[in-house]
Amino acid sequence: MLAYEAIIYHQESRIGAIILNRPESGNAINAQLAEELNDVCSKINRDDDVVVVTITGAGGAFSIGTDWSEFSGVISGEGRKVPRSVATAVAKLNPPVIAAINGDVLGQGLELALACDLRVAVNIAHFGFPHITENAVIPQDGGTQRLPRLVGKSKATEMILLGEFIDAPEAYRIGLVNKIVSLKELIPVVTDMAQAMASKSPLALKYAKEAIHKGLELTLQQALHLEADLYMLLQTTDDRIEGIRAFREKRTPRFKGK
Amino acid sequence: MGGFQTVIYEKRDNIAYVALNRPEVLNSYNIQMRDELYQVLGAIKDDPDVMVAIFKGAGEKAFCAGADLSEFLTAPSPIIARQVRWERDIWGLFLSIPQPLIAALHGYVLGSGIEIALCCDIRVASDNTQFGLPEVGLGIIPAAGATQTLPRTVGEAKALEMLFTGNWLGASEAYQIGLVNRVVPKDKLLPTVEGMAKKVVSYSPMAVRGAKQAIVRGLDLPFAQGLELEKRLASVVNRW
Repeated sequence: MLAYEAIIYHQESRIGAIILNRPESGNAINAQLAEELNDVCSKINRDDDVVVVTITGAGGAFSIGTDWSEFSGVISGEGRKVPRSVATAVAKLNPPVIAAINGDVLGQGLELALACDLRVAVNIAHFGFPHITENAVIPQDGGTQRLPRLVGKSKATEMILLGEFIDAPEAYRIGLVNKIVSLKELIPVVTDMAQAMASKSPLALKYAKEAIHKGLELTLQQALHLEADLYMLLQTTDDRIEGIRAFREKRTPRFKGK
Repeated sequence: MGGFQTVIYEKRDNIAYVALNRPEVLNSYNIQMRDELYQVLGAIKDDPDVMVAIFKGAGEKAFCAGADLSEFLTAPSPIIARQVRWERDIWGLFLSIPQPLIAALHGYVLGSGIEIALCCDIRVASDNTQFGLPEVGLGIIPAAGATQTLPRTVGEAKALEMLFTGNWLGASEAYQIGLVNRVVPKDKLLPTVEGMAKKVVSYSPMAVRGAKQAIVRGLDLPFAQGLELEKRLASVVNRW
């Protein structure tokens, strides 16, 4: 367990669990939280024991966005201050990442959730980008890119340009979240999902993620080459032999990550 | 075109029917099926009499339950396997066929079964169909295109979920996420698919092929170039 304050991180049974930990301010993202989240992400990428990552929020919200009040951001090239990015580090995590959305997820908090691979949300959560209405700014941690690629241009335009929030059933309907659950089901459902993934081959999980994410940026033909190369690399692993042997012997595989 | 064992190919009234034919092993995909399917696909592509092709699985239980694992671990080195993969690029061939392809799915559609279905343009499933991608739990990733064709069909998040969890989806969930176009009762599966195919046969072949090209190739281009492609195809096809 690493010594953070604005986040909590613990790792158990191959699952790395990150908890945003500023519940008194709705887990608003300030410089310290951004710093610690970036740090834990780079540690996770160097830790072969983490096979799946989950991210959730302490208290009643997942994250209500950038903490403007405590704002002491990073100076950008032009000399203006900008909030520190969190979405990029999360998007660069090698293992699969599940966002367990325990409450409202707004602004930069939503951008953080969008950088995860899967989103499971409680049925009372709200989703939105208040940037245009509250601050006369635009999302700047990937929201203008990740949202339309996920929910389509029409819905993304509506959410970003009108600054309107949507509820959980609408978020599910448009594909913004994979599943909605009741508050008390959230942790059990996400834990089950994480455990199901954690029992799979770590390398196959990473390469499946890479094939999908990188492949969508290529033409189909180039992407099929990427898929084939990653598949061939997995042919050289012990885990592949173990996976197929276990299937034939009708037993649970024991993967080692090599 | 005959003499195949693992694939049955028939042509009637401008419709090609391709049945995966290893029902005793749930039509699992093996090397022989790969080679026979490769020939059938080439025949379809080169045959101007074929206006549309239907893909289905023989037997009651499955469209295709995946790769034949009894042949795994017998492969040559990855260096050779990689070379062989591109010498007869069956998935590239499948995805380059100019005629519309319709998959009639029933029972188990797992692993490479989903990948074959995703190489088709339209998927109709019977209500007893089950979809799943077990690869990651076996220490591998899909190698017949699913890491690319699936997210382009159901979106990135759903594709990641299916691959990471290996969970199975029933027909109605598959319909909800856009994996299949339609779900019908089992006895309506072939009539529905044949009805669609007959509509296609009644249209101008150039218009049908032009529409498929515009959509499928266009999605691979930046939007402005996609519009140019549409314009070029229309100038060839459209005669007002």
